[in-house]
Amino acid sequence: MSASANGNVDVPEWVSLAANQSRLSFGLAVTELAQRDDSVVAIGSDTLDLIGLRTLQKEHPDRVVDVGIAEQNAMGIASGLATTGMHPYLCGYAPFITARSMEQLRNDVAYANQRVVIGGACSGISLAVSGGTHHAVEDIALMRSLPNMTVVVVADAHQGWHATLATQDYDGPVYLRLGGRAVETPVTPIDANFEIGKADVMRAGKDVTVIACGCLVPEAMSAAETLEADGVDVRVINMHTIKPLDRDAVLAAAAETGGIVTAEEHHLTGGLGGAVAELLAEEHPTRMRFVGMPDEYAIVGPTGQVRDRYGMSARHIVDACRSLR
Amino acid sequence: MPEKSNREAVLDKLREEALKVRRNSWRALHAAGIGHVGGALSAADLLAGLYFHFLRLRPGEPEWEDRDRFVLSKGHGNAALAAVLAQAGFFEESRLDEFYAYESLLGMHPDIKCEGVEMSTGGLGHGLSIGIGMALGARLQNKDFRTVVMIGDGELQEGSNWEAAMAAVHLSLSNLTAIIDYNKVQQSGHIHEMMGLEPLAEKWRAFGWAVHEIDGHDMGEIVDVLDALPLEADKPSLVIAHTIKGKGASFAEDTYLWHNNAVTDEVYEKALAELEAQS
Repeated sequence: MSASANGNVDVPEWVSLAANQSRLSFGLAVTELAQRDDSVVAIGSDTLDLIGLRTLQKEHPDRVVDVGIAEQNAMGIASGLATTGMHPYLCGYAPFITARSMEQLRNDVAYANQRVVIGGACSGISLAVSGGTHHAVEDIALMRSLPNMTVVVVADAHQGWHATLATQDYDGPVYLRLGGRAVETPVTPIDANFEIGKADVMRAGKDVTVIACGCLVPEAMSAAETLEADGVDVRVINMHTIKPLDRDAVLAAAAETGGIVTAEEHHLTGGLGGAVAELLAEEHPTRMRFVGMPDEYAIVGPTGQVRDRYGMSARHIVDACRSLR
Repeated sequence: MPEKSNREAVLDKLREEALKVRRNSWRALHAAGIGHVGGALSAADLLAGLYFHFLRLRPGEPEWEDRDRFVLSKGHGNAALAAVLAQAGFFEESRLDEFYAYESLLGMHPDIKCEGVEMSTGGLGHGLSIGIGMALGARLQNKDFRTVVMIGDGELQEGSNWEAAMAAVHLSLSNLTAIIDYNKVQQSGHIHEMMGLEPLAEKWRAFGWAVHEIDGHDMGEIVDVLDALPLEADKPSLVIAHTIKGKGASFAEDTYLWHNNAVTDEVYEKALAELEAQS
């Protein structure tokens, strides 16, 4: 990004091309990385347009290998490529690239500790109209349970770009949880710094802390504004890296504010809330509330309405914060 | 006595190594006390052919980047892989006595942390996809190393193999060879009684592979097919090696009972005596 003559900051091209879709900013960043580094290769699973790999395919046809609808095969191929010194970026639908290929993920990628980056698009219930077969509300739990695996949940398209670029020199396997097709509200700056494992404090506050990830970050910011009007000072942390968890940010929030609400588009079992609770239970027992998907399968409907039905909107975060007062 | 032809001398040397792979497999399995006897012994001749005739390796430099890659997809045959790696010089043969031992890199299944092992395997149906990745890695980096994956026959019941079978052809990976150790027996019985694979060669041909069938215990046939790789230009090669599970130990041959079984002192002595008689 450069400053133009009139002093305004030019908006980089990727911002408009990504159109506020983190799945596309991931693809654009993979394309950028492939241009910088000959070892980068994109592996698709019938996901060329979902991830936006047509440009890379046109410019470097050999560096895009879409193996069709075969996630197990894609995962094994990525692992094999990584053993030869290539840096594969595996592109899939979050529900399929995690659960369908879970054994390849565990054995070939995590256990063998290969440098594979997995981009899981359409996570959570972003594809709410598709029904439960296409929802990924257990992927954080699955990925977080694997030793060697780093788990990143991007909050918006801007963060999708920066998080992907941050994997360039990162060691070990990484799961990047991406949105998909549903509206993604921009919440992080276009030029924000991104460091894997280092949480972003989006809003200072001393009364209560909301630790959110993914599409619940803008909901948390909105909830904080509502609560501010009531005189409640809310800290909002974008915990984009679930593993390794930023312990310092969590422990500081526990010590400095009156309670912690976690918010995620994921089952209440095993996700961000679980990770935070596991840490606090041992290090700093703290009153907590959990915002996320209850232990059931979601109905079909417009994503916003379905999210709201299951308690994953700003108003639910507001209620959770109030209940800690 | 007329001097043996050069070919016969080569084959004799390989047969000797194969016999040693069997002996060393038993050594490892005896040290462990129990293990996958049948699938180690069926693969012994193939492994000897691969490691002492075909694969370009530097045992003193296991990470040499231009080395050929071998993946034992049927990871439970690790006793034989460990044996052949030791014989090839990746580590001391005495390490075979540490099979299953505390902190050993030689467990029931291959571990990528062990010298000479290219991938941790054991979950079945993984190796061929991994091999495709390795073969693609060679192509993308303009390297001429070759990748060989050994697949078990029972393992072919895993659907992931057929995803990989499709992809290797679509990607025209002539630098990839799969060898099926077709010993006809799996953990719970004969394959044709469990979930039959036939017509196996026709299936792979229909997927577009170049296929050749051999007797997987005939060193001449093993060497000839390895020398002929790739079998066809622009196609991945498949070798269906007809083998006998438990080969070389009369009591263990062609039975699921010796897929995984206890190796007592008595069993070990009997097995070594039979191998001695064959040498």
